[in-house]
Amino acid sequence: MTSSAPRLTVVTGADDSAARWRKRALSTASHAALIIASILMLYPLLWMLSASFRPENEIFSSSTLWPSSWSLDAYVRGWNGLRVSFGTFFLNSFIIAILAIIGNLATCSLAAFAFARLEFRGRSFWFALMLGTLMLPYQVTLIPQYVLFQGLGWINTILPLVVPKFLAADAFFIFLMVQFFRGIPKELDEAAQMDGCSPWRIYWKVLLPLSTPVLATAGVFTFIWTWDDFFGPLIYLSDIRTYTVMLGLRTFVDSTAQSDWGGLFAMSSLSLLPIFLFFLFFQRLLIDGIATTGMKR
Amino acid sequence: MTIRIDRRQFLVGSTTLMAAGAMGISPVLSQEARLRLLFWGGQARADRTYGVTDLYDKANPGQVVEGEFLGWGDYWPKLATQTAGGNAPDIIQMDYRYIVEYADRGAIAPLDDYVGDVLKLDDFDQDQLDGGKVNGKLYGISLGANSVAMMVNKAAFERAGVELPGKMTTYDDLKAMAEKFNAKGEMKLIGDGSGSEPMLENWLRQKGKALYTAEGKLAFDEADATEWFAMWADLRDAGVCVSAEDQALDTGPLETTMVTLGKAAMIPSNSNQLVAFQAINQDEITITNFPRIATDAPGGHYRKPSMFFSVAGKSNDKESSAKFISFFVNDKDAATVLGVERGIPCSASVRDALAPTLDDQSKIALNFVSNLGDLLAALPPSPPAAAGEIDSSLLRTISQEVGFGARSPEDAGPALVSGAAEILARAAS
Amino acid sequence: MTAHPFSAADSASTSGRAVTPSFWSRLWTRDAPGYLFLLPWFIGFFGLTLGPMLTSLYLSFTDFDLLTSPNWVGMDNYTRIFTADPKFAASMRVTFFFVIFSVPLKLAFALAVALLLNRGMRGLPLYRAVFYLPSLLGASVAIAVLWRQLFAGDGVVNDFLAIFGIEGPSWISNPRYSLWTLIVLSVWQFGSPMIIFLAGLRQIPQDMYEAASLDGASKARMFWKITLPLLTPVVFFNAVIQTIDAFKSFTPAFIISGGTGNPINSTLFYTLYLYQEAFGFFRMGYASALAWVLLAIVAAFTGFSFLTSKYWVHYDE
Repeated sequence: MTSSAPRLTVVTGADDSAARWRKRALSTASHAALIIASILMLYPLLWMLSASFRPENEIFSSSTLWPSSWSLDAYVRGWNGLRVSFGTFFLNSFIIAILAIIGNLATCSLAAFAFARLEFRGRSFWFALMLGTLMLPYQVTLIPQYVLFQGLGWINTILPLVVPKFLAADAFFIFLMVQFFRGIPKELDEAAQMDGCSPWRIYWKVLLPLSTPVLATAGVFTFIWTWDDFFGPLIYLSDIRTYTVMLGLRTFVDSTAQSDWGGLFAMSSLSLLPIFLFFLFFQRLLIDGIATTGMKR
Repeated sequence: MTIRIDRRQFLVGSTTLMAAGAMGISPVLSQEARLRLLFWGGQARADRTYGVTDLYDKANPGQVVEGEFLGWGDYWPKLATQTAGGNAPDIIQMDYRYIVEYADRGAIAPLDDYVGDVLKLDDFDQDQLDGGKVNGKLYGISLGANSVAMMVNKAAFERAGVELPGKMTTYDDLKAMAEKFNAKGEMKLIGDGSGSEPMLENWLRQKGKALYTAEGKLAFDEADATEWFAMWADLRDAGVCVSAEDQALDTGPLETTMVTLGKAAMIPSNSNQLVAFQAINQDEITITNFPRIATDAPGGHYRKPSMFFSVAGKSNDKESSAKFISFFVNDKDAATVLGVERGIPCSASVRDALAPTLDDQSKIALNFVSNLGDLLAALPPSPPAAAGEIDSSLLRTISQEVGFGARSPEDAGPALVSGAAEILARAAS
Repeated sequence: MTAHPFSAADSASTSGRAVTPSFWSRLWTRDAPGYLFLLPWFIGFFGLTLGPMLTSLYLSFTDFDLLTSPNWVGMDNYTRIFTADPKFAASMRVTFFFVIFSVPLKLAFALAVALLLNRGMRGLPLYRAVFYLPSLLGASVAIAVLWRQLFAGDGVVNDFLAIFGIEGPSWISNPRYSLWTLIVLSVWQFGSPMIIFLAGLRQIPQDMYEAASLDGASKARMFWKITLPLLTPVVFFNAVIQTIDAFKSFTPAFIISGGTGNPINSTLFYTLYLYQEAFGFFRMGYASALAWVLLAIVAAFTGFSFLTSKYWVHYDE
């Protein structure tokens, strides 16, 4: 969008400096707006960080961001507070999140390709059913699902959290990919089909390479949502050695008894680090993706 | 190419690792009798509880108690799901509120058969034993006696120059006390207790009534309820208690209470929560009894089981579970580890052994519950199954409606009584 | 999705014996690939998803109380929902209000920020990450503490308003405004639709803009003629998904109101009410009925969106 703008201003010549000045003013203004907005967005994080360093009895009574005294106690306490260190929880969360990404990207893209590109009888019907699975509140399927997984002997393992991802159970991602696949020019498939390409080759060689942005998006969301999910782990994991980070965090606080708020905020801050880094890394893919695909019509 | 192979090997390796972990079985443990214990609480309670399971494991070779704990809000859905799946833990921490629900439906087992055998309750307080009975059978072993108490910000009272409330403080005295607090302007005297079920119950008992009859019917009438709401409306208008807007900030957890938020100098709570309150407050906190309706009014307090241990109805090893519970409430080393975090121990000998080891805050709680004197009256019958719903979805809502002016006290009294009757009828059908 | 009305008719007309070979070969070439690609989804749907869903449908006709076996009660639960449950109506009102205000606001915000961040600016990756941060916090308990600090009577928002001499109420605990604080929370966590919009913007071929600018098109014109039409599939996706999510919204109210839906049920979201019924008051049968009523409503909304979509969503097909 912006890359074409300078070319035009060169032509107009006479207004050059005025236009440049206006452009700079605009840029400064939007930076200022973004920085103010960023502070609003960052406030909770700053608050949480400061809470993780301050004395426990100051967390709820102090109204300033700056702790009266700084201490790393909460981090030490939080990391080793349970009988299993938070390192284990981080590892467990990583394993689950990575497997979830692999599963979601592989199987949801297959299903999305079928819905977006292939013609077969019953397509609309199955698509409607798939969307329907998004609409029932999970609170009421929880117990039947638990009984099912128990019958399979999967309780207290990570299988209930991972296997569904390999079976495209998350309709959100299928629908997301369908919408993006449909935005890719169909002439590309048709050309490939003329060349005798099978649906598989079209999926693998044509569609997927052009879909980096949506695949990256799906990857980021899967990672973050799996990382943040606590209800699944809460119900299916009982052995503390299999706990995820989010489940570990929930054990710091009890509304009826003495809680470790410092530990909670310390470990919450730490737990944001991997997802933040992951996000920074993957959004590069999101941006780079399109530049290298060179999609032309 | 080599990188790719390495990656694949890594993947294969980590998957195998995971599969092993996913099985959740370590060979050493498989030969031992394992009991699962589920309780709600925070880190502090978990440390103490694990301390006791360690002691028990050591004293009973071949037996392992695996404890798992969750926050109150997460605890109940998980327990319900596991129970529905026929996979409930052997030993379940149970609340006074839910014990009838779980006992009525056979989700927890009666323990009478084990009493005197593996379950030793010889010098157990009678009221605490009775508190764990449903329909005459013993379903829960009290882990500590407790009493409702006003959580008092001692430092704020000193700053306002008001003498701490005590056994002779009445509801009528509150106005005079509040004047100094309002003059100081730092905070109100008291939180709005109109939506607090324990405070209503205490007030009713002082009037010689109760919340529920032994048959599970409502034991107070519209006039009582109206008087209750009118009294609080009066206190609210006079600036004795906090505004409705402030009170509504309290959503239940300790960190949202009026004392912790610095809005009021005292609020209704429970004696065993003193330590937890102190941990998140900079001011010094203490406890005292609820206000009385008159200095010679009958006692409204009672020693309530703070929580129980129960055994799952489908537990494979009820006897070992009962044995562990017995150890938990009787062993003196265990008692030292547990302190009074779950309430005052119910066995007299354990109490005596424990007393010298306690810190100041714990001693305050212990002394409070032990010295209720004429404030203490008999344990009320266990509440009907729908009591929780009446408390959380009716009393609290109506009290807010009065507070925000959406309902008059004259209207609120009948609404509470008829609403409660409806909920009770629905639960009974 | 566009329907395929002719495919069914085709198969019906080819059922004669003479055309059997071609029927089978057509089945293979035409239908098989689609079903093969859907195979993992089918296994998951029939193996893991459908069973629990049907079970909950069955439970909605029972008095299931979590702890004992369910008894069939016919239409009792549904009858009560529609004739004798004031909380059903109350929670529906709250939920609809939330959907109507939070979804458009969130989408507008997400799109505006995505457009702003899609330009070549310095430090963009950082801004993007920072704007996504609130969404990373998800359902953290910290949110509840924070929202109280912002929206209580003596909170940051009122400190700010005081500069202009305005004395604000305790937004979060006043039944008149409490729902709005949840709408603000939902809009504040606009990160996910923003990222999806960004990905959509990235997929718009740059050469279209280059061609248009050579033709002398203004930026506004390019937005209306290129960006927006090509973005409609993604706008549609975000609108549908955000609406479904808003109808099912549970966590914000659960955290902020401590699961109570107070003050005076002003934040009693439908699913929060359902959750209370199921796990608080042991009425899973009734909660299941509530859930299926919600499904019907959401499905109607979604179906309607799909019907209208052919008039404004542009696919490259």
